[in-house]
Amino acid sequence: MSLRDLLGLVLLNLNRMRSRVVMTAMGVVVGTAAIVVLISLASGLQASTVESFEDFGSLNQITVFSSARMGGDSSAEGLTADALDDLASIDGVVAITPYESLNGGSLSYNRLSGFASIYGIDPDVIENMDFVMTEGDDNIGNYTVIVGSDVGSRFSEDGDSGGGGGFGPMMMMGGQDDSTDTEDAIDLMGKTITLELTRRDDDGDEETHKVRLRVGGVIESSGGQEDYNLYMSIDDVEDLTAWKNGERPDWEDEGYSQAIVIAEQDAEITLEVTDEIENRGYFAMSTTSIVEALNSTFMIIEAVLGGVASIALFVAAIGIANTMIMSVLERTREVGLMKAVGATNRDVLSVFLTEAAFIGLIGGVVGIILGIVGAQIIDVFAASYLASSGSDITSVVVTPLWLPIGAMIFSVLIGLGAGIYPAFRAVQLDPVMALKYE
Amino acid sequence: MTFIDVTGLKRHFMMGDTLVRALDGVDLSVEEGEFLCLMGPSGSGKSTLLNMLGGLDTPDEGTVIVDGQEISALDANGLAVYRQKKVGFIFQSFNLITSMTAIQNVEFPMIFSGVAPDQRRARAARLLTALGLGDRMDHKPTELSGGQQQRVAIARGLVNQPVIMFCDEPTGNLDSKTGMEILDMLAGLNQNGQTLVVVTHDPRVADYATRTVQMLDGLIVSDNGNGHKQ
Ligand SMILES: Nc1ncnc2c1ncn2[C@@H]1O[C@H](COP(=O)(O)OP(=O)(O)OP(=O)(O)O)[C@@H](O)[C@H]1O
Ligand SMILES: [Mg+2]
Repeated sequence: MSLRDLLGLVLLNLNRMRSRVVMTAMGVVVGTAAIVVLISLASGLQASTVESFEDFGSLNQITVFSSARMGGDSSAEGLTADALDDLASIDGVVAITPYESLNGGSLSYNRLSGFASIYGIDPDVIENMDFVMTEGDDNIGNYTVIVGSDVGSRFSEDGDSGGGGGFGPMMMMGGQDDSTDTEDAIDLMGKTITLELTRRDDDGDEETHKVRLRVGGVIESSGGQEDYNLYMSIDDVEDLTAWKNGERPDWEDEGYSQAIVIAEQDAEITLEVTDEIENRGYFAMSTTSIVEALNSTFMIIEAVLGGVASIALFVAAIGIANTMIMSVLERTREVGLMKAVGATNRDVLSVFLTEAAFIGLIGGVVGIILGIVGAQIIDVFAASYLASSGSDITSVVVTPLWLPIGAMIFSVLIGLGAGIYPAFRAVQLDPVMALKYE
Repeated sequence: MTFIDVTGLKRHFMMGDTLVRALDGVDLSVEEGEFLCLMGPSGSGKSTLLNMLGGLDTPDEGTVIVDGQEISALDANGLAVYRQKKVGFIFQSFNLITSMTAIQNVEFPMIFSGVAPDQRRARAARLLTALGLGDRMDHKPTELSGGQQQRVAIARGLVNQPVIMFCDEPTGNLDSKTGMEILDMLAGLNQNGQTLVVVTHDPRVADYATRTVQMLDGLIVSDNGNGHKQ
């Protein structure tokens, strides 16, 4: 029996019971439409979330913390100079720099007070950090610094810098406090700002130390926490810390609190390097690994949603099986005749399986179309709502190509699966009895 | 060589607690070109024998050899191929597929024997025309009279050029005049060399047949032909 004849016969049979086919396929329509809508929504959410994360920081930078400082394995080595050399030798690592914050300083420019998160990094590595400069260049050292795009907006009359100084090194998600009035922002490029440190001497009296920082460059906004950072040479941070603590820190031997590893520009390599650093007993975190974790979380969400929607398909499968059993029963004589005129068991099986698969296919195609249309309608409403609430997310729905293809294959398989039992009932009919059947 | 050779054929059914000996040791030989009329009272086993010869049922005991092939030893697939290539059936109740036109019904067996569509159509049209249904080819069975339906069924039975045709009460659902037409048609086929086995209650069939076999209680009790094993 040729494929063409099989399809011809199947279409004839389905056409004969079309109203029942339509009703049976409805279950598949609901199931596949639900799958397409739910997974499109989850994918859309995934895309916009991942995208907003990728806006933060460079994807190939890995922040490394010493385990001991994170409260972990205290026997692990700190981020000493030797440790940094060791990490630098990992395959795929381009550069490594210590990353040390300077706390307790306040900034001023003329009579305005400001605030920034101050970090010391290795001036030789800064070129690997791929800062995009809107002004100036990325040279630092000897109290020449570069600042994030929003540092200039943090300067105000009375030291109320409008956001508080609670910046940590951790990234935060979502929109920053945009209430800072950008009209008052100072263009710090080329300006000299004053950093004032205070400490208490042995008698408890307050001492202050002022250094003048020349802003040599402004970094393009990334939309993240780094826009409020100020980077200076690690040596400058060390000098200032030495003054503040009254003794010079021995970071090279005792370990820096953080380091930044710059890996090759490749997500796979970045992840491998992250793993390797963790294997060596450190905490390592990169945007790439966060994105990776997000993606796998979303994969689970999508699988769960797909599974829930699949319940509708399994109910539909029962409907298909029911329709096919009825059909075999009604066509008992016809099955007997098929056998009498020389249809093999394989032919009989093919006819009924294909009919069931077709019901799945019809339901699948209609369901996919409805699902895509439905998802787009949701998207239009969601996008206009998001636009009116000031979000820059323009789409909450993404329908990856594999989704309709997968949903189609799935609905055909559901039909096939539902057809197995009825088809075998047809095959097992005794032709003599079947031909006598009333 | 004997065309059909049946030896010691038995087929028993359990009906509740009682054993029904539908065939209880049948021996029969049929030569090529015969028009064999199988008669006997209701329940004597005629249909059971015919189904056995046609490969629709398998015996409990005994052998059936048709055209040199031992049918009783074939598996399900072998039987399907045997029915496809060598056998044509005609039933009392026509058994046409109601959703198909006359020509589609005649084409139906050729779907399974793998005849190409255009060739299929041509052959079906030729047969229907030969049987006087040239102007009814695109009618559904419900739009045809009983006699016309049975002619469609005959065309369908002939379409794979069977070496033997089995007819189970082909005139049973027809009035006597239409029944005669069908019998004329079968006789015509036989004159062209078609071997036929016809089960019937209609005594007129015996007039057309080249040989008449009587059955009773699962046994052959009389045979006016030469092929009967003594
Ligand atoms: N599938 C079956 N199960 C049980 N008994 C059966 C079955 N098929 C046939 N029989 C019995 O076998 C016997 C022979 O049946 P068969 O149909 O061959 O008779 P027949 O000679 O064709 O009768 P009729 O002229 O009424 O068609 C009958 O008693 C019948 O009841
Ligand atoms: Mg009978």
